[in-house]
Amino acid sequence: MTGGISKRINRIQFALLSPEEIRKMSQVKVITADTYDDDGYPIERGLMDLHLGVIEPGLKCATCGGKVDECPGHFGHIELAMPVVHVGFIKEIKTFLDATCKSCGRIKLTDDEIASYRKKFDAMSLSSSDPEIIGLMSKKVTDEASQRMVCPHCGVQQVKVILDKPTTFREEGIKVTPKEIRERLERIPDDDLIFFGLNKEVARPEWMVLTVLLVPPINVRPSITLETGERSEDDLTHKLVDIIRISQRLRESRDNGSPQLIIEDLWDLLQFHVTTYFDNQTAGIPPARHRSGRALKTLVQRLKGKEGRFRSNLSGKRVNFSARTVISPEPFLSINEVGVPEKAARELTVPLTVNIFNLESVRNFVKNGPAPRDEFGKYLPGVNYIIRPDGRRIRVSAQNAEENSKRVEVGWVVERQLMEGDIVLFNRQPSLHRMSMMAHTVRILPGQTFRFNLAVCTPYNADFDGDEMNLHIVQKEEARAEARIIMKVQEQIMSPRFGGPIIGGIHDHITSLFLLTHENPLFTEEQMIHIMSYVNPEKTPVAVVKNGKRYYHGRDIFSAVLPDGLNLKFTSKLCASSKAKCEYESDPADKEVVIVNGKMIHGTIDETAIGPFSGIIIDKIFRKYGPAEAAKFIDRMTRLAVGFISQRGFSTGIKDYDIPENAVSRIKEISDEATVRINKLIETYREGMLQPAPGRSVEETLEIEILSVTGGARDESGKVASAYLGLTNPSVIMARSGARAKMLNISEVAGMVGQQSVRGGRLNRGYYGRTLPHFKVDDIGGKARGFVKSSYKSGLDPLEYFLHSIGGREGLVDTAVRTSRSGYMQRRLINAFEDLKVDETRSVQDTIGTVIQFKYGEDGVDPTRSERGETVDLDYLIFDAEQEVQ
Amino acid sequence: MSAILWKDTKKNMRDLIKHTPAYYAVEAEFSEVPKEGYVTTDQKYFTYYLKISAVEEYKEQESIFLKRKTGLKSVLKIESAREVDPISLGEFKKGSKRVKEFEDFMTADRVQAKMEEKSAYAEALAPEVKQVMEDARGLGYELPVSVATELASKRGGIKKNVYDKVLGEIDRDIQVKSIDPYEAVGIIAAQSIGEPGTQMTMRTFHFAGVREMNVTLGLPRLIEIVDARRIPSTPSMTVYLNKDIEEDEEAVLKVVKELENTTIIDVADIITDVAEMVLTIKPDQARMRERLVLPSDLAQALEKMKGITVIKGETEDNVIVKPQQESFKKLYQVQEQLKELTIKGITGIKRAIARKQNDGKWIIYTQGSNLKDVLQLDEIDSTRTYTNDIIEIANVLGIEAGRNAIFRESANTLAEQGLIVDQRHLMLVSDMMTFSGTVRAVGRQGISGRKSSVLARAAFEITTKHLLRAGLLGEIDPLTGVAENIIVGQPITLGTGAINLIYKGNSK
Repeated sequence: MTGGISKRINRIQFALLSPEEIRKMSQVKVITADTYDDDGYPIERGLMDLHLGVIEPGLKCATCGGKVDECPGHFGHIELAMPVVHVGFIKEIKTFLDATCKSCGRIKLTDDEIASYRKKFDAMSLSSSDPEIIGLMSKKVTDEASQRMVCPHCGVQQVKVILDKPTTFREEGIKVTPKEIRERLERIPDDDLIFFGLNKEVARPEWMVLTVLLVPPINVRPSITLETGERSEDDLTHKLVDIIRISQRLRESRDNGSPQLIIEDLWDLLQFHVTTYFDNQTAGIPPARHRSGRALKTLVQRLKGKEGRFRSNLSGKRVNFSARTVISPEPFLSINEVGVPEKAARELTVPLTVNIFNLESVRNFVKNGPAPRDEFGKYLPGVNYIIRPDGRRIRVSAQNAEENSKRVEVGWVVERQLMEGDIVLFNRQPSLHRMSMMAHTVRILPGQTFRFNLAVCTPYNADFDGDEMNLHIVQKEEARAEARIIMKVQEQIMSPRFGGPIIGGIHDHITSLFLLTHENPLFTEEQMIHIMSYVNPEKTPVAVVKNGKRYYHGRDIFSAVLPDGLNLKFTSKLCASSKAKCEYESDPADKEVVIVNGKMIHGTIDETAIGPFSGIIIDKIFRKYGPAEAAKFIDRMTRLAVGFISQRGFSTGIKDYDIPENAVSRIKEISDEATVRINKLIETYREGMLQPAPGRSVEETLEIEILSVTGGARDESGKVASAYLGLTNPSVIMARSGARAKMLNISEVAGMVGQQSVRGGRLNRGYYGRTLPHFKVDDIGGKARGFVKSSYKSGLDPLEYFLHSIGGREGLVDTAVRTSRSGYMQRRLINAFEDLKVDETRSVQDTIGTVIQFKYGEDGVDPTRSERGETVDLDYLIFDAEQEVQ
Repeated sequence: MSAILWKDTKKNMRDLIKHTPAYYAVEAEFSEVPKEGYVTTDQKYFTYYLKISAVEEYKEQESIFLKRKTGLKSVLKIESAREVDPISLGEFKKGSKRVKEFEDFMTADRVQAKMEEKSAYAEALAPEVKQVMEDARGLGYELPVSVATELASKRGGIKKNVYDKVLGEIDRDIQVKSIDPYEAVGIIAAQSIGEPGTQMTMRTFHFAGVREMNVTLGLPRLIEIVDARRIPSTPSMTVYLNKDIEEDEEAVLKVVKELENTTIIDVADIITDVAEMVLTIKPDQARMRERLVLPSDLAQALEKMKGITVIKGETEDNVIVKPQQESFKKLYQVQEQLKELTIKGITGIKRAIARKQNDGKWIIYTQGSNLKDVLQLDEIDSTRTYTNDIIEIANVLGIEAGRNAIFRESANTLAEQGLIVDQRHLMLVSDMMTFSGTVRAVGRQGISGRKSSVLARAAFEITTKHLLRAGLLGEIDPLTGVAENIIVGQPITLGTGAINLIYKGNSK
């Protein structure tokens, strides 16, 4: 990592702080447990000493002379009256005490053993090897040393040290004081440290017993002034006050020769305070509490967990130049655009660095002031601030605009308000994949919401029921270039997940184009012009003359948005299941959609053609003509769809689910039959005659059988109902074209809702032996266990309604549980895989250069560009080549 | 060439190894001179291999190793002896049957898996495919075999000029599609698997082909796979049978019986009589029939158990068991042992169900999994038999098989939910989980816990532990990964951040 960025941190080494080092970096020795005097001025040598930094405006740091925001803060220190152990290193201290001799301090291994282990340890470097492996090795060695009860070096009999959690060590029941521990640790020679996984370059074991405590700068623990004028100190300051106070009392008691008991009590208290200062959730001791009873948030708590420093402030950061508001649809925007409300645009700015080429135009922006409009009242970008080369910001107002525009020189930075064409990042949470954050170009629109093309809902997984989204203004030229080239919506049409388009027509787009192309209807010239007026096409459809009048075919109208030279042949969703002849198409040739040279000849446009995930036409245009052309197609296609459906009209209502009387009675028959069969099954079961399926109990078998009866009943009634609902029915059109809903939903409305289930079985919980008090105990019949005979249209009776809600609730709970579970899984996946990259030879490597795959995905092909996973789409290549050769 | 198998102590064998060549006296007599011997110390695994050159009749003499002190009959001249990796009993065959039970001085043959070298890939190709590749090479293109194979099958209806054009297009297409250097493929893979997770069902159970069987599917299963759980929540095997008995229902059911693990508690009740200090086993006729267990099977199983005396009960089926030591502790222990005593079948296989496929062939599905033991059955087709326990596959068949198992299981789980995820992402996950040689979980115990960066580990989970440890070791964070660079506020080293492009300007 050299060059490029002028300053780059190359590496970070961790180490332990020695007492000397702490004193060296300390600016003041804190001896007073108080913070401020009565005038609110920091007490000298207190916890808020001016040498430790400043947080109050007006004061100057006594160390560096900086003011607030200039001074980074400085450390101080506390000299502890007696040493205490550091909670974080208890385990290590225990190993040291166990594995070394209490008198000579050597590790309890013979010279031969030491020599042979040393070879192994010398082979690896402590600072860069896998800590896990070092840990295992040192554990093995220290365990062996701990076993030995006589020191091989000085022959002294050893005593077992017992750790009395959390911080007390005992030897044969007698407490070993931290002072004694420290003395023992001091005796351990540097050369033996490696066996404990301690790097002698950076750490000494006695440093794990504290004699000096570092006091963090004030900036780390600022006090806040409440509205009442009362000062409230930070949790850390509270803890430090406790430590100083006890340390002082301990020193006094020790110096006056107080009874040993009192000294020991105070010493333990000091240990408690220092322990909780580091970690207030140490097992075995009660957490230190605030006056209000709330547990204090000390050092470990500040770092740990989701709200901790690492995950909350270091891995994720808050940003400026961003906006958030509700989203709404705007079909007349391109997929690459985002509509930004004026109000937001006035606040969001793009920095322009003034140079000799843009000086004039920038001065012009400044001259316009902070809220300019053109003669028609239309939004024009203004300037909020100008920044001088020395970093001073000057607010531009309507009054000083003229004057400021003259002051702007080369080298100044002008913060220009958002204008049309600026590139911005647009994002919706949860950001589950890279398409959750894409670059758009700005269109300034009236209103209060962000607006975008409906085709872009899918990648963001957005809808307009109150969703909000975030907008970020890119501030650097490099970033703008990357946003434009890599992140723009049109560049993200193809999903890396499956190598197909993730952007495409939805809902009405599909319905509309289905109606436009199915059976190739004819339109008059007026109708055609009306539809086309939405589109702004490059081509116009060819007319057919009938009775002296010019008519236009639906497919020809659709062809107007297709690029020239496109050749394509595929089966539509409508005909996907039918093998020989398509039941929905009168012309057998329409079984397949055929497009030759940008002209649609056969078939019906539906989800398979233009939908997200499946859209074959989008897929092929993207591959053959590139992202810009694909974006153009999606823009025009969605507009054509909106144009046509608003010309034709499309609606559905309860009447669309009317089925003839005989069908209704047939459905009733089916449900009655099902009830009879269920009862018969139950009867057989009660007689004990039911044969269990292999590996199942009789009860389970009964449930399975009943479920298959109820499932069959619903399917059958669905069939009966849909026999009367043909392709003229709007709901059926939506289901068959893939716009929304499934045929199952229609049969639920017109036919029968069917069996409700929880955890894949019939409903069975609630009251003793029954789901509701309306049923007899142990009634395991259809209705009592959630078989809903009614349809949504006919309406559910109260019992059915209740049981239906039980089934519905499961779905809601399921969703809630699922999001958290899959969210955690994804976090772990991302964390484990984030460092992998492909190198120039297409091999996959991690950060230390371990090869994970020699050729990415075994063929080196980018899944985004693959043909739905396949390396090449031969059928298409052949078809395309055939057409082109002709 | 037959080998003899016997049991000896570790100490004896160690002495023998030190002093070979040596003479070794045993209590058996041999009709022919064996050439090899395998020695077990635990009756299950053979850990010593001996080369035998001669057999003599036993006479007392000096400097001879004795297997035991009395009853010695012959002396083997041992040329060499060495310790070998454990060989299981199942690897030996007597005649055509696999050895099932160990007996001292048994003569058997060791069967080893046949190793065949795969003939070179290029030579194994069909001539049409070779022709297509040749044609492409003539035009200056190099086609992958898979594409050439597909093209060869479609060759028929294509005109010559179209064909040439297609060859060119394929070459261009592959060039265009190759992945960009420095692409963050890991993140893309993680997102591609994580994102559809939100669309998966939580319902744990589903019927997979056989409706009697429950198999964990959906999101829980996917989490289980990336977690690399030791034991999946629903271990299950798909056992294929040898071609000759695949369609023979009777033979298949026999295998099912052999597979299914039946313990005493499955077919009988055990009653503890504290006063008399005995246990009474009361077989349940119905359950015995269902599990195809005969009273003789039960008796046989009890025979093998040590430390008990079996007494026939007053009613004909009841069996009374008395611990040899009279103590309540022992009584309780025996009771617990009895419950778990296997009458027949393979440990771990709770249930086996045979299903007839549409093509008339039978497949056995099991609840519970024990790949190692199942593979040793003669009747099963070990090349197709499969388990959904990934760790077990990795342990029994090796890490490459484990890698393929992760890939297959995750691909199936996603496909079953109707979600399309490119197989390259799944391959990357499987490779990342297995490249170290063992199956590592995705998470703090596995991959994330072994990252080289302190900051990245601290940012993930267990923050303080990593920071404190780093201080002791003086760990150096090289700041090469993503998380650590974000923490210190620097551009990351992937994608456009992986390269440095500097404008030098005109040198005047």
